[in-house]
Parts: sequence; structure tokens; C-alpha cells
Amino acid sequence: MSDSIDINGAAAGLFEPRITAFVCNWCTYTGADLAGTSRLHMASNVRIIRLPCTGRIDPLFIIKAFERGADGVIVSGCHPADCHYTSGNYHARRRFAVFHDIMEFIGVDPRRMTFSWVSASEGAKWRDVVNEAVTNVRALGPFAAYRALAPEGAGRAAPAGPSAAAVPASAGAKAEAS
Amino acid sequence: MNELRELARTLLTDGTVRVIIGWEDARRGARPAFVTDPADADRLIFDTRCVHNLVTYLDPRRDNVAELGKIGLVVKGCDAKAIAGLLREAQLNRDDVVLIGVRCGGVLEENELPAAVPLTPENVAPRCYGCDNREPALVDHLLGEAQPEPPRPVTTIDERVAALDAKPLEERWAFWTEQFGKCVRCYACRQVCPLCVCERCVAEKTRPQWIEASAHPRGNMSWNITRALHLAGRCVDCGECERFCPVGIPLSLMNRKLQQIVGERYGYTVSDDPENAAPIGDYRLDDKQEFIK
Amino acid sequence: MSRVGVFVCHCGENIARTVDCEAVAEALREHPGVAVAEDYKYMCSDPGQALVKKAIEENNLTGVVIAACSPHMHEKTFRRACDQAGLNQFMCEMANVREHCSWIHEDRGEATSKAIDITRTIVEKVKHNRPLESIHIPVTKRALVIGGGIAGIQAALDIADGGHEVVLIEKEASIGGHMSQLSETFPTLDCSQCILTPRMVEAYQHPNIKLHTWSEVEKVDGYIGNFEVTIRKKARSVDEDLCNGCGDCQAACPAKRIPSEFEAGLGKRTAIYVPFPQAVPNIPVLDRVNCTLFKGRRKGLKKDACGKCKEACLKEAIDFDTEDTFVTEAVGAIVVATGFKLYDIGRDQPEGLKGYGEYGYGEVPDVIDGLQFERLASASGPTEGAILRPSDGKEPKTVVFVHCVGSRDPEKGISYCSKICCMYNAKHAMLYKHKVHDGRAIAFYMDIRAGGKGYDEFSRRAIEEDGAEYVRGRVSRIFRDGDVVKVWGYDTLSGEQVVIDADMVVLATAMRPQDGIRELAQKLSVSTDEHGFINEAHPKLRPVETNTAGVFIAGACQAPRDIPEAVAMASATGAKVLGLFSADELEREPAVAVVDENTCIGCMRCELVCPYGAIEQREICTVDGHVCGHVAYVNPGVCQGCGTCQAVCLSKSVELQTFTDEQIFSEINALCYWE
Repeated sequence: MSDSIDINGAAAGLFEPRITAFVCNWCTYTGADLAGTSRLHMASNVRIIRLPCTGRIDPLFIIKAFERGADGVIVSGCHPADCHYTSGNYHARRRFAVFHDIMEFIGVDPRRMTFSWVSASEGAKWRDVVNEAVTNVRALGPFAAYRALAPEGAGRAAPAGPSAAAVPASAGAKAEAS
Repeated sequence: MNELRELARTLLTDGTVRVIIGWEDARRGARPAFVTDPADADRLIFDTRCVHNLVTYLDPRRDNVAELGKIGLVVKGCDAKAIAGLLREAQLNRDDVVLIGVRCGGVLEENELPAAVPLTPENVAPRCYGCDNREPALVDHLLGEAQPEPPRPVTTIDERVAALDAKPLEERWAFWTEQFGKCVRCYACRQVCPLCVCERCVAEKTRPQWIEASAHPRGNMSWNITRALHLAGRCVDCGECERFCPVGIPLSLMNRKLQQIVGERYGYTVSDDPENAAPIGDYRLDDKQEFIK
Repeated sequence: MSRVGVFVCHCGENIARTVDCEAVAEALREHPGVAVAEDYKYMCSDPGQALVKKAIEENNLTGVVIAACSPHMHEKTFRRACDQAGLNQFMCEMANVREHCSWIHEDRGEATSKAIDITRTIVEKVKHNRPLESIHIPVTKRALVIGGGIAGIQAALDIADGGHEVVLIEKEASIGGHMSQLSETFPTLDCSQCILTPRMVEAYQHPNIKLHTWSEVEKVDGYIGNFEVTIRKKARSVDEDLCNGCGDCQAACPAKRIPSEFEAGLGKRTAIYVPFPQAVPNIPVLDRVNCTLFKGRRKGLKKDACGKCKEACLKEAIDFDTEDTFVTEAVGAIVVATGFKLYDIGRDQPEGLKGYGEYGYGEVPDVIDGLQFERLASASGPTEGAILRPSDGKEPKTVVFVHCVGSRDPEKGISYCSKICCMYNAKHAMLYKHKVHDGRAIAFYMDIRAGGKGYDEFSRRAIEEDGAEYVRGRVSRIFRDGDVVKVWGYDTLSGEQVVIDADMVVLATAMRPQDGIRELAQKLSVSTDEHGFINEAHPKLRPVETNTAGVFIAGACQAPRDIPEAVAMASATGAKVLGLFSADELEREPAVAVVDENTCIGCMRCELVCPYGAIEQREICTVDGHVCGHVAYVNPGVCQGCGTCQAVCLSKSVELQTFTDEQIFSEINALCYWE
């Protein structure tokens, strides 16, 4: 783990980014499981959504995540040639290459989107991907620009992030109506 | 033009086609024409005002056109590429249409003129510059004399894209949010695009509603990104979307950027060869992945 | 109305040490649509599961979320429990708050907050789960084995011994494959035919094995459990039921100088022939290309130019007017065991390959390949086992063996290692020295690959006991010079050029897949790599399966293989097939894609990207039968549930069950930080 990566930004009173991760079931999800089994500690800002394959991951998911307040996203799956379904990740690779380039052209900082290949045996790599993503997005600040696109009157103060929830541990964060 | 009228007359008279879809003169400029009677073949014209991509009338959902019978369609080089797109996507049988290609030297950007004028750097549609399909292959007939290359516009689209690329991220974001902010979600761009032929567009899907329907910046951003993604490697650069946009969003910049992306990453150029498989839906083992950790 | 039950597991201390499980349950109790939320020490235990079942019954739950370990651990456990309590098992999901939360964070507040987020997300997903049923596909419990070499024979025997019928098809006139051409096998120097022929006979006589020789696959329709295979039985000109294998026809045939394929071109055969004396079945075929009568017919002769075989046949089994016939077999599984051919290194090469013109193969008669050497060494071969060189029949006193001809040579188009050549070259050197005691066996090698059991000892034997001389280096040129075959090579260990006046040269050419493999692969919807070898489903964990459910592979059609590996793979496919046949119906998780025919426009992008060929175009008709369009259709038996089709569908007209757009949308929204 790099010294420059601070997984406890909350302690320093820094902004805590919210990151939604879309990962494939067979490689990255299992790699993340391995990170857990190996007790590899990492930043707590990432929430994982499980998909069967990166081939299933649609750019619409990422757009929706940004609309819903994510400051960054992670998309991760099996290494090329290892896809459980043979070719899902090859299609995802092209799809996200184009998406990445379009987003950059539109003016979205590509560092808000982390794309990675993490295999089922790469628990440590998953930890590094998470920590790096959190550090990068923390440095970029909240994705206020995307939230500013929200329609008039629809804006509402977001429930505070993980650092605020640290205060009354028993209370937990109440959900907004969904 | 006489060649076109003669051919139209012949095809209609001998019953090869039941309708010729081409262009005709109108009060405000050229407009699409549906000619079913050989006697009306003289209505057909081809000049620098003929910007319309008539392939949009081949959308399989247009029953009213299909009912007319076998179609003879007049196409420029860019239009012919759209035919190839429909063929690739099983939306057209090649035998259902007779393609009448016309050799084109470019069209006007502002085409609503009572009479055609020659092209100049000031009046040419910028997208025409560098046209790579001036002798369309995917046609049954190819009419007209060889034309000179379209003139170079005052500022090319490539130059404008490069200028945008050179700006810092925040400025690009400001530019596109301003442009997409104008969008009224009329979907004219979608309606006129010859390749936008879905029965129920994803923008109209409500369960779930990925793309918010009302015209505000957040939904507009989602719509315009999706439109771009769907067109990567498919857009034929006919320019109709931008021409139709009532609020002047510079879609040609996005379209050209899409071409650059698939060209640079996958060596792909949209052509009128239906065998040339689209880049999205295809893959190579060594596709570039510099953005992936 | 959703009534979801949330059950938060402490997992002893594993979760509870870091995550406040009571607080999670309390937070979820407030969540819209949650009817009951409880926490317990060990959810997966019997009392834990009983808790869940009781809650289902008492609260009429419509969905269950277990906030605990990874679904990879216990999803099946809890789904079974729900099923037992009367709730459809696919209405149960797990929220991973252990591997993805309690085990990787320290701060209790952060971890608890995250656990609540994770659980809420899965609750929102479950609200959109549908009560699905496992997919059941009937299974035809018969297997097709394509290829009658050692791998095909082994697979057929294993499946047949397992109690199921096997159709074994072989494109040559006899089964046995290349193994029948070998003289002895490494590392035991077993006589190849002696160990093979009993298997061949067993396969032929097995009541469960139906053998079609001189036959090929014409067409394959259907899918796992339900294949329909059309087999082309090529015209043999000999009635298989009447023929008794007496051999009179072969004795009578006047065309005796046709190069024999079995003898690798070193021997001759007749036009009507049995490939080798131990052929199974022992029924000849008539080679219509070289037969005098058929040559005459092609020239348009009115009267047949010959007919001696027919005259000689006392069983009246010969009929010159037979045509290819077609047989359809219904099977549930297919095993591909088509084996290999050797790289023919002559000047004439298919696209992508270059020959080795510099080695003189095809021009210098005494430059032969490995199979040809096997025939020389074979007691039943053209020289009855004496090592004699082809040009003048003299016994060669100096034989050069060249390793890696074609293999490991990206320049010539084949980058892989052919695996068996180091071993068989050592064997050839030994066989030669055993027969020609005063001969010199010189081998040019790059590396020695002898990794199998007893292999290294075997190859060292060739050097240490039999005196083979191993030179590390490549050969640049081989050509005839008077009576000798000159070999120009290089010895990298001494750094000197080497020139050898050899009497004979044996080239170890690359193993390649059989001709026609790509066409066969297309018929089966399996993929091949750039060399033509069939792709396995997963290189480490699924080496005998392909991407097409129900099609298995064994032996050298997948990669260069030696006999023990081919046999092991064949038995592995036997196990897979017997497993497949062990139930009358195939039960599969219903994670399959379903097309909405109302909105699909049949652009067939989905078909392009489906790795399994599970998608086809279907016509849709109006009520009066008029065809009004076409849409895509996903075969639920073949679909493996990757969802790539849904991501490429522009109109989102296909939904992958268990990971629908609504489910994922609700998960993303559950992480709603902003309205």
C-alpha cells in the first residue's frame, strides 16, 4: 500500500467521496471477497453492485450513478481472455473505451471513472484499485458539477457520508424516501 | 439531372419500382419528392440544395412508405452509407430497393434558396469537406459526371473539434452543458436519423426510466450522451441531426468526435460496404485498453 | 406491496465485531417495504434458518435479504430454506456485509453505515425480483463421438460402459487414428497396435456403441440435450452387412501401386482396400478417385473398364452404383475427438503458414517425417520393421533427427510447442539404435521437453544407454549431395557449425488440427483459435468443455497432446457426459435473457455478441399468419446469462432475468445521495 494513499481521510476532516462500483460476479466480486477473507483493509467509500459480467454493464448505469450523487465510479471485471462467458469483457472494453472518450470530450474528468481488470485471485489488487480510486476522487472533490444539472427544486442535502455516520454508531443513517 | 429524370421515367414505366424518392424544387428550396407517375419524373432534381438524407424513409416502421411498393431511392455517398447500416442491422432487404446513386460534390449549409448556387468555402456544409464516398459502390445506378471535391470550409469540423479538445476540461464541460442545456427534447435528431429506427427508443422506456424525459440539463445530458454512444461507429455524417435541431446544438462536433474515436482506436471508417462490421459489437484481442488498470 | 424480511447475521464475531448488527436491523426496520428485520448470531445454522422460515410464514414475506457473508458462500443455503418455507427461492438475495464490509474496515461507524447501505441496496433489488422457476430441458441420453482415434474410442467406451448409447463416427475406413500407425509408444515402448487393437475391437463389439466409419458430420441442429446430427455416410461401394472380410477383392484388384495413406506414402495399396490388416471394421472401401473403373466412368466410357473385385466377391457385396447416404441421429451430447495431422512442410502451404523448402521434404526422398519413421520401424510396415531408407532401400548408418520443425517458429506461422516431439524423437533414436547397432543417431534440438511420468528418464536413456548424440542447435539446410543427405546445422554449446553426411533425416514436424476442423467447429458453434485448435471453455478449470453447452473435446483437437493426456481427457468427457445424462431433465438457474418481442426490431446485434450462439432470428406473424417482421429469440437452454446482449441492445428490448434493468436501477437508486 502506497504511503500517499490515506484511507482514513475522515479523520483529517476531508471530503469523503462516494463511489459506486459495478463489478463482474466471477472475477472482481470474488477478488473482493478474497480481499475480505485476507482481511485487507481499505477505504470504506465504495459500494459494490454485482453484475454477472462486465458485458452486462451499461454506460447508463454510470450516468445514473452520477445523477444520483456518486462522485466517482469503478467498473471492473475479468482480465481479457479470462471472461467466464468468454467474450463479455471484450465487448465491455470497446464500449467503455468509447464511453470514456466521449465523457472526456464532454468535460467529465476521466479520473472520476476507474476501469480495471481484477481477477478472483487479486484481492490485493482490488484493495489498491479501491484505495487509489478513493484518493483520486477525493482530490477532485465532490462531483458538484453533475449534481448542479439537477432540475430546480429537486436538490436536497444529501445524507452525510460515512464520516458523519461515525458519530452516533447506533443510529445509522436514515434513508431518504426512495 | 436529365439522366436522373430519364432513369426515373424508365424505372417507373417498366414497373421496376412503384415510387421514386428523390428531391424536387419547392418554394423554399429543395425538398423530398415521392414520384409515382412517370409523367412526373421531371419534378426530380439534383443540385447543391439536396441535403436531405432520404434513407430515413426506408425506416421499416414507416408503413405508409412501404405500402407504395418497391422503392427507387436517390442517394448521395453519405446516404449510401446509411443504407449499408440498415443492411447490417437486418432492417432492409437489398432487393426491396433500387439505389440510384448521384455523384455529389457537396451541398450547401444553408439550403433554403429558390435556386441552387455553386459551392464556396463560406456556403458549403462543413461536413462535406474530405468526403470519402464520392463514387458510392453500393448503388444499382450511378449518375452524373464526376464532381470536383467539396471546397474547404472557412473552419473545418476537425479544426473545431481540435479546438475543443485543446480546451481544459472545465471549459469543455461549460460548453457542452450550455449546448445540451438548450435541448428541448423534441427528438428531431432521432426522428430524422436514418439509423435511429427502434420501435421503442430507450429514451421512452419508463420501467426503468434511465433517461429522464423532461427537458432539463440533467436529463438532456443523459439523452445526448446516449445518442452519441448509440451512434459510435454507425453515424454516417449526413448532418441531418444538426440541420434539424431547432436550437442549434452543434451535433456535428460530437459526430466527428465519434468518428475519430473509432478511427483512432479500431481503425474503423463508416463505409457503404455492408460487410464492414460495425466496431461496437466486434472486438479484437489486442484492442487498446490504456484507460484500464 | 413488498413485504421483505431482512436478517442480519453476526457470524459470531466476524461481522458483529465491526458492524453494529442491531443497528443495521433497526435501520432496515424503518426502510419502506421491509416487514420484519432481525439479527442473529449464526444465520446459516439450523436455528438461524428456522428463524428465517418462521418469519416467512408469520409475516407472509414476499422477499428475503440475508445480510451476512458473500452470496458465493451461502446463497444456495438460504434459497433452499426459503423454498422449504414456501417462498420462491429466487426471491432471496444476500447482502455481503462480511467480505465486503466487516472484514475490510476498522471504524465501527463507517462499517455500520456501509452495512446499512449495502443491505438497503439489496432490499431495493429484491423488490424487483421475480418468482422464477428453474429451467428444465429434456435430455436425450445418447452421445455422439466424432473421431475414432484413441481419444474417441476411450470416450465412447466410457460413455457406453456407463450405460448409454454412443454413436461413434470416423471419417476413415477404420477406427484407430494415428495411434494405429505407431510402432511403439513412449515411455514404455509398448507396441502401439497391441494396446490399441483390443480397444478398437471392444468399441466395435460394444452393444452400446454404433459405429459409422467412412462417415462425416454433415449438419448439426439443436442444443444441449437435444441435438440432431445429420451424418454423411460416404459411398463405400461395399455392403457392410454382406462383406465378411475375406480379402479376395483386394487380391483381385489390378491397381496395386496407389500410395497408401496408412503407410504415410512409403507403401502401396490397391484401389479397393482395407487400410491395415487389423482394421476395424475389417470391411474394405473402394477409392473411387484411383479406381480404374471409376476413372473410366469419369472419362465417359460406355463399358466399365474393370470389375475384377466384384467378380471375385463371393458374397456379392460390391456395388459400384452406391451413393453417399445420410443418417440422422438424435443425441444429447457431442464429443469432438478429431485428433491431429502433421504439418506438411512442403512448398505448397495454406494461408498464414510457410513451408520449410530448405529442408528438402518432398524433394529428397530420404527426408521423412515422424509418422513415416513409425511405419519404417513397424513390424507390419512397408519394410517389415527394418530401418531402410526410401530412396534405395539401404540401411542408413547415420540418421539425423531434427526437432521443432514448424513448432515454436512464429516466422513460419506456428508459435506453439508440439509437446510430443522431444519424446518421440528420443523414441525414434532408441528404436533406430536397437535395430542398427552400429548406426549413429544425431538429434538437433532446442530444448528437451520431457515433463510426463517417466519421460525424462526415458529421454535420458536414449542418450546414456543407446548412445544417441544430442546437438543443441538448429538446422539451416538439408539437401542431397551424391549418395548422402547433407545436413548443415549449428551446435550452440560448442559454438561451431556442424555438417553431417547423413543417410536419412527424420523431421519432427508440428502437430496441427485436422483439415476441415474450422468447418466442423462452425457446424458445432464452437470456436477455434488462430491455429485451428478448438477452444476450451476455460483453460484451467474447464479443459474438456467448450463454450457451447453439450459439446465436449478430447485429445489433440484442442492442443498438442500425448496418448495418456488424450485418454485422460476422453475419460473426463465421459464423466461430463454421464453427469449430463444422470437426470432425465437438465436443471438450470433461470438466469437467462428474454426478448420483449413488442419492442425488439430484430437488428440482431445481440446475436453477434452472444458467446454461445443462443440467439436466433424469428419471424413474427400477424394473427392470420402473414409474416410482418422478425425479432430476436433467446434459447433458454443455451443462454448462459452473461447479459452482453442486453448491454448492446439499443432499445433495451432484452432483459437478463435475475439482473434486470429494474433490479440494477433500483440498486443504483438505493445508493441515492441526492434526489
